[in-house]
Order: sequence, then C-alpha cells, then structure tokens
Amino acid sequence: MIKHWQASASFDLIKLRADTLRKIRSFFDNNNVLEVDTPTLSCATVPDPFIESFRTQYLPLTQTMQTDNYYLHTSPEFPMKRLLASGSGSIYQISKVFRQGESGRKHNPEFTLLEWYREGWDHHQLMEEVSSLLNSLLIPYIDLTEADLITYEEAFKKKLGFNPHTISKPDLLDCVNHAGLANVLNHDEHRDRFLELLFSHVIEPSLGVKNEDNGDIRSNICLLYNYPASQASLAKTALYQGQLVAERFEVFINGMEIGNGFHELNDAREQRNRFIADNRSRKQMGIKQIPMDENFLEAVENLPKCAGVAIGIERLLMVMSQSEHINDVLAFPFERA
Amino acid sequence: MASYNTNEFRSGLKLMIDGDPCSILDNEVVKPGKGQAFNRVKIRNLKTGRVVERTYKSGESVEVADVMDTELQYLYNDGEQWHFMHPETFEQMAADKTAVGDANLWLKEQDMCTVTLWNGNPLAVMPPNFVVLTVTDTDPGLKGDTSGGGGKPATLETGAVVQVPLFIAIGEALKVDTRTGKYVSRAKD
Repeated sequence: MIKHWQASASFDLIKLRADTLRKIRSFFDNNNVLEVDTPTLSCATVPDPFIESFRTQYLPLTQTMQTDNYYLHTSPEFPMKRLLASGSGSIYQISKVFRQGESGRKHNPEFTLLEWYREGWDHHQLMEEVSSLLNSLLIPYIDLTEADLITYEEAFKKKLGFNPHTISKPDLLDCVNHAGLANVLNHDEHRDRFLELLFSHVIEPSLGVKNEDNGDIRSNICLLYNYPASQASLAKTALYQGQLVAERFEVFINGMEIGNGFHELNDAREQRNRFIADNRSRKQMGIKQIPMDENFLEAVENLPKCAGVAIGIERLLMVMSQSEHINDVLAFPFERA
Repeated sequence: MASYNTNEFRSGLKLMIDGDPCSILDNEVVKPGKGQAFNRVKIRNLKTGRVVERTYKSGESVEVADVMDTELQYLYNDGEQWHFMHPETFEQMAADKTAVGDANLWLKEQDMCTVTLWNGNPLAVMPPNFVVLTVTDTDPGLKGDTSGGGGKPATLETGAVVQVPLFIAIGEALKVDTRTGKYVSRAKD
C-alpha cells in the first residue's frame, strides 16, 4: 500500500519522463528550434468558454488590499506568439500549465505541455514533424504501425456516415439519438456541441487504434485535420474542396488525444472578433468573461506565417508506459500535491 | 430536492436515473483540449441489477437517490415476505421477493444481513459473505474418503444446493461462501 506522502509514479516512470524530456530537447536542438521561457502568471488569459484558468491576486509588500486578477496560463501560446512577432524565429517550450476542473483518469489540473512553433510552415509541414518526433519517442516502447492522416470530415464519414460540415441539425440530432446519446444536450445548443459529443464518444476511441487484416490490434499515430471553421480557435480558416475549414489538427494515439495544432491565425481583427464571440458565449453560459489580452492582439498583427502545436507530456508518457491512469506518470498528482 | 453536480460524481454515489435508484460504478471525465466536457458514467440500476452507461454534460445536476445500507438481523419468512429487525432499535422491516432475490438461498434465521433501503424500504438484501448451514439431503457419505477428490451435490436447510466433498453426511453443518455459492469447510464447532 502506497502512503499518501509517497510518489504515485514508479521510479521507472519518473526516469521515463526525464529521458523523454532530454530526447525532446535534443530533437529541437538538432533542428535549430530555440528553447524559450515565458511567464506562468499573467494579467490575461484565454477566453475559450471551455477552458477555465486558475485566478489569483498580486499583493504588493506591506499592502493588505488585494489588487488585480492574475491568471495561471493554460498554455504558453500568447507570450510565445509575442516572441515570434518580435522576431524569435522557430521556438519551443516545455512548461507546466493549469486548467480548472480538469481532473480524472486522463486529466490533472496541473500538467506539462510541450509547445512549439515553426516559422514559415503550415499545418501540413508541422503534422509531419509531429509524426516524426512522436515516432522517435514512442518506437522504443510500443509497437507502432504506420501513421494515419485523415480529415475531420473523413473520420465522421467513415464512422458515422455523414458529412459534419453540411449535415442539417435535425439529421445530426437523429444521429445523436441513434448513438444512444439522446437527452445529453438540449436541442437548442450549437451544432458543434453535438459534433463534440459524437466525436468524443464514437469517433475518438477508434483514432490511433488500427485493426490489422490478421485480427491484431495495433497502435498508431493519428493526425486528424481540417476541423469545422466554427471550431477554429486560433487557427486560420481556408477553403478545402469547396468547404471553409479551420487549418487545425489534433493528434491521437490509442483513442486518446495527445495534442492540438494550428496553422496560426495572424489576422488581429479576426482574432479579436473570435475572442469577443468567446466572451459572448461565456456570458450566455453564466461564467466570468475574460479581459482582452491587448498585448497578444497587437502581436498577432505582426505574427509571421507559422504553425504551432501543443503536446501533453503526461498523455505521451501514459502511451509509452501503457498506463491506465495519469496518476501513474505523475510523481505527486493533484490529490497528493 | 437534493442533487449531485457531475463534478461530485464518484463510484458508489447513489442517483435517481429514469425514476430508478442507481449506483455509480465508474465515472470518466471526457474533456477534449478544446470543446464541451462530458461525464461518462457506468451505473448499476439497484432495482434490476442491470449495468448501463450514461453520459451527462459536465456541470449538470442529477437527483440524489435516498439509498442507504443497514445491517439488519434476519428473523423469519412468512411465506410471502422476509422479516428483518434492527439489532438496536428492534424496528422491524419486511422485504418482498424482488428485494430478496437470490439472497433467499442463504438467509438463515438470526444471521446479520446488509439490507439496502430506498426511501426507507428494503430494495436489496445481501447475505453475509459466509453462512453456516446444515445439510438436509445428500448421497450417503463415503467414510474414509478425505482426499477431496470427487464431489456430490448436497441440499442445505435453506434449499440451496452446493457441491460438497464425498465424506459429507446429512446433518453436518457446512461453511459456505455466499458470493460464489461454494462449499468452504465443515463448520468448526
């Protein structure tokens, strides 16, 4: 029986983390990507209505009155883009990030993100690099078969037989009911919520899992790209086969999300509009609105063409060690922190 | 009406789902990096025993089921109902066939059982893990055969039939594991 004060990860897995971080640093060093360090604590944060930041206050010495709100970052994205806009060239960072409420088998409210940006690249070039880095990290530990590169649309067509970009809301609701997920959401919610419900329950579990002809089940890296334009977040949108899509991708292995990347939006006006829309959703959901990060928005104006991605290190370690619970790869998970 | 928010979900929690009391067996947070979070729970319907999966949008609330386990002493069966008594308050309670279910095979008068109450009424009865019951019928014992090699069926005083070693005779008291329905040993005393 492990006592509460002791580490929940085995020393093998504590060492696996150290080895993995060393390999990642050497990968980027060999590729001339600069390691950077940006603030964990800042005066602004992401307004995404489905990501909640930890909030705290700054207390000047000898003063007892609490002052302005500060936030722990949920990803180093904003300051890293300010560096890119300042002329840094390609950069990477390994940092601890914090997200409220995210606790469970695959979540810890404090976790480690590897985030990097490639100047001059689009999401396709970056997906190739993600695949090659993950391959080199995973192959010594698990049996990986060839990577899959499929669009969000193809994944829905393959598993559920409909086009997620064009399906009507009534047909989408039918499909949700058919999947045994009726009454989870109110019918008046945005169609993206229904797509997210089907995605997380029906599609995601099969991504990064390959059924071979001989009946074997093997793992692979699945890169899913071109999301609905309404789920663009901080990605550019573009026409793809006549359909407006977000140039965004996600990475899955063994049915688990490992990372998320963008061909980065560098239109400050569009970015501001998306933030305003996020805050409007927050208001409707009855949650706190987030002040605009003006430093970031000014930097977006000067952001060079680039693509960026964030990879969850704990999720990666879970795949490498075939761990069922994130606590197996954390020395001291939230409950013991 | 009391309710639990999805963020309080954990295994063992008792909820009212579709009008039936249910117990959470497993709670999985499904939260994409970007997008709506859900709680995917595996639940056991405490009335039917069936296990099903349900999904809730994170942040929603679900009504609490007024379900609690109590230790009661089994008194007797009147042909229709099984009567139990609280050992301290001496309060008596009757459970019907649905609540007792398979437990009736192992209920012996005076034994302490776990009775699950829903809104104060017996919903399910769990016999003790081990019970001592007397053999009422079995083929004649083979004296001297203590190898435990073969086995034979034996009917116990409650009507349960268990496989026992060949040397067991009518009238002997046996210790039985009610979770597996298997013979453990002869009763010590």
